Amino acid sequence: MHHIRYFLAVSETLNLTKAAEQCNVSQPALSRAIKALETELGGELLRRERTLSHLTELGQRMLPMLRQSYETALAAKMVAASIRKGETAPLSVAITHTVALGPFAPMLRQLARAFPGLQLKLCRGTGREVAEYLRSGTVELAIAGPLGESWSRLDTFALFDEPFGLVVSGTHRLAGRDNAEFSDLASETLLINSAFEMIEELAAFREANGILDTASHQVATQEDLLELLKADLGVAIIPVGAVETDGICRMALKQLNLVRKVSVYTVAGRHRAIACAALFNLLRAADWGFNTPTKQSRMAC
Amino acid sequence: MTETDFGEILEESFVRCRDLDAPLADRLQAFANELRRLDPRFAAAIDALVGRLAESHAGGVAPRVGEPMPAFLLPDDQGRLVRLEDLLGKGPIALAFNWGHWCHFCRINVDALARAENEIAAEHRHVAAIVPDRQKFAMWLKSDAKAPFPVLSDIDNGYAMTLDLAFYIGDELKRMIVSAGLDPSASQGTDNWMLPIPATFIIGTDGIIRARFIEPDYRMRMGIEDLLAALRSAT
Repeated sequence: MHHIRYFLAVSETLNLTKAAEQCNVSQPALSRAIKALETELGGELLRRERTLSHLTELGQRMLPMLRQSYETALAAKMVAASIRKGETAPLSVAITHTVALGPFAPMLRQLARAFPGLQLKLCRGTGREVAEYLRSGTVELAIAGPLGESWSRLDTFALFDEPFGLVVSGTHRLAGRDNAEFSDLASETLLINSAFEMIEELAAFREANGILDTASHQVATQEDLLELLKADLGVAIIPVGAVETDGICRMALKQLNLVRKVSVYTVAGRHRAIACAALFNLLRAADWGFNTPTKQSRMAC
Repeated sequence: MTETDFGEILEESFVRCRDLDAPLADRLQAFANELRRLDPRFAAAIDALVGRLAESHAGGVAPRVGEPMPAFLLPDDQGRLVRLEDLLGKGPIALAFNWGHWCHFCRINVDALARAENEIAAEHRHVAAIVPDRQKFAMWLKSDAKAPFPVLSDIDNGYAMTLDLAFYIGDELKRMIVSAGLDPSASQGTDNWMLPIPATFIIGTDGIIRARFIEPDYRMRMGIEDLLAALRSAT
């Protein structure tokens, strides 16, 4: 691990003497460590020159991976450190409005067990708001569909794919069917969530299949959408992986080959508090059962 | 030969070697011989990797016998967060790092540990395996070997890295593994192609390391007899 720390110092200072000072080691010790890393990686990482050293192509290519590994190792160390009694573990998370909390409840339960001092702050927002929360440091971690952000410090790790499907109320004429076609929707009113991250992609799909927005109701939250659905105001096309099924029927919509990729987002290089680092690992390791192919094909009520 | 044909042949060889009535070292060696016969280029690339790791003293500063085993908090195959101290509360433990569910030598190793489980449990000793795989794949490795012990997910090799046990597999092997139809990046949830040196640590209830086996050649693992002896004498 110290090999990597030394290499990261050289990549920042581009000067072996300065890097050695920064790491509090002698320059020969630093050089030996980098030599060992080069042997392990099977090539030179640095082009050594008298004053300035440069990263080789291999060095450039390995840098992001080594930096990430180093940060992960620091986080692993921190997370494992035993916590003193009564110590608080703050955690701020943002989730977009349309992502259900249900699938994440088991991880939060584990977190609360592992950190009795857990103090969770859960924010909701649109994709843009969630991205802003991350940028400003209001939250340490976010869970959302595609954010459409090109910020280079935004680290994205895909968690699961949620297939889109049709949802109708339990008393709807289509209720109980395994699947439906776009032509079945010709006379239906659509419920559209204006806060949905993939609203444009979905609109394009609807238009391509002759479903126009003329007969529609607009809502701003998933909760409202489902309430109106149950009250028979219309039907909706939404990601159905994690939707609650009480009084609602979900079914596959033929010709609709659209999935929403739900990801966990963090900001590269920013310090992650202990509970955040643990949640990050839990989310990355988790088995999203509802996303398995067998369950995906059984989408009826 | 197509990818699937090769995969099937390899799996048949693997099952034959795994099911040999022989010590772990012989079963691993039998599969290493099969692999070298079936795919000499891959075996040569592994030899080169092992050479590089040995030359760079990979694992050289990993914790030693007599030192405390660094703490961890890792998700297990059921998605529960597990601390090393929780495991030690139940008795001395053998902690076995493995490459992952896709690694045949790791499957033989986990199978051998599972076969030794009755003897280990009878003496109130325990086993846990650690892989950089996500839960679903950790579970697969566990069921494949019918292992009764937990398989922990060390995402991004974070814990292995703190022990100086994580390494980059190298561009050549990366290409070969992908062209063999295997993809550790899917099971690991990252494409950084890091793996742990498959080390085994025997840890007493006081958290002190009683024995360890660190070998950059992933075709060699701590022998079950040695592991049992070290576990027995640990308190």
